[in-house]
Amino acid sequence: MYIDPEQRQNIARRLRSLPQETRQPYDWIEFRRRARERANASSRRGVNGKKYATLAAALVVAVMGVAAWIRLTRPDMSLSAQSDATSGSGAVVIGPPDTVEARAEVAERWLASLPDEPIVVRVGTRATIAGLEDRIAQLDDFLSMARAEGAQPAKLTAIEEQRTRLVNSLVQVRYAETLVSASR
Amino acid sequence: MTKLVEIEIPEDLLRRACAGDVAAQAAVYTATAPAAFALIRRLIANRAMAEDLFQDTMMTMFQCLPEFRGEAPFGAWLRQIAVSKCLMYLRSPWHRARLHLESNDDAEGTYGSSTLVTPAPVAECFDVTKALASLPPTARVVVWLYEVEGYTHGEIAGFFGRSVSFSKSQLARAHLRLREWFEPSRGEETCTSIQSNGRT
Repeated sequence: MYIDPEQRQNIARRLRSLPQETRQPYDWIEFRRRARERANASSRRGVNGKKYATLAAALVVAVMGVAAWIRLTRPDMSLSAQSDATSGSGAVVIGPPDTVEARAEVAERWLASLPDEPIVVRVGTRATIAGLEDRIAQLDDFLSMARAEGAQPAKLTAIEEQRTRLVNSLVQVRYAETLVSASR
Repeated sequence: MTKLVEIEIPEDLLRRACAGDVAAQAAVYTATAPAAFALIRRLIANRAMAEDLFQDTMMTMFQCLPEFRGEAPFGAWLRQIAVSKCLMYLRSPWHRARLHLESNDDAEGTYGSSTLVTPAPVAECFDVTKALASLPPTARVVVWLYEVEGYTHGEIAGFFGRSVSFSKSQLARAHLRLREWFEPSRGEETCTSIQSNGRT
């Protein structure tokens, strides 16, 4: 794109010959009016902007608060059940553990945490407890023999479930006994 | 008529305008507005946008008046504000999309674009203002800043955030288009030669 230097200077001269001033679009009074209008518009935008920002922040806080409240008040059975079982707090935990063996383990752990003899021995209760403990011991023998002989899993599960029911009964009797002891 | 860059404002008037004297401010406005608007109109073809940018420029002038140190003529300082406002507008994403479309037109070499009216025959007077307004925005700004306002290619490239080559190529493009306006006989000669070719 070659342009003759003389042509270039000619073009530049024509451009420089254009008027350097032109009638301003409006006078001083109009300029001040427009300036005030812009200032008002920008302050309105600023106020509205702050308002919307505050509203948005409040909404976010409200949503987070609701989410936190839902999370905190939502019952979490397995968590509470586990913490109670491990702490030995005295609460009877029967049911939440998924498997039969897990349930039995939890119950036996609680039983083990109890003293061997209550403060007050009731003859009727002692007899019930002794009978349950004997029955549980018999089922333990059956289970050992069945596992050694390679019995079918369904049979083993049936024996384990029966043992778990007996352990739960024992837990309930022992728990009642501790409540009575505690009330004295 | 005084170029914007040559306008001087008395120190006393500036001091009173800074202090909030409305009469002094009105005097400063009256002294600078015609030249400022003329410059903006040369750079921005759209009148409505030019008026907006003029308002921006004058408001910024009054806001930044306390910062003027008098190291250069007042008009030169105001010119810098006006040029910055115009270039900020031209560099805005919205306007950049428009410029991209126009530069594509340039790349295709279509000098029969919608912004360029058919060159007048030799006998008529050429309207330099219309010729300038017909240029693509970037080329118009570059040619005006270089040929009339005296900026260097380096300064112009800096305004656009581009290289010196960019400024030079835009200037060359502007000159080419303006030459078609100022010397339309070249166009006629081309037509004549085709016709003569056609005849022979």
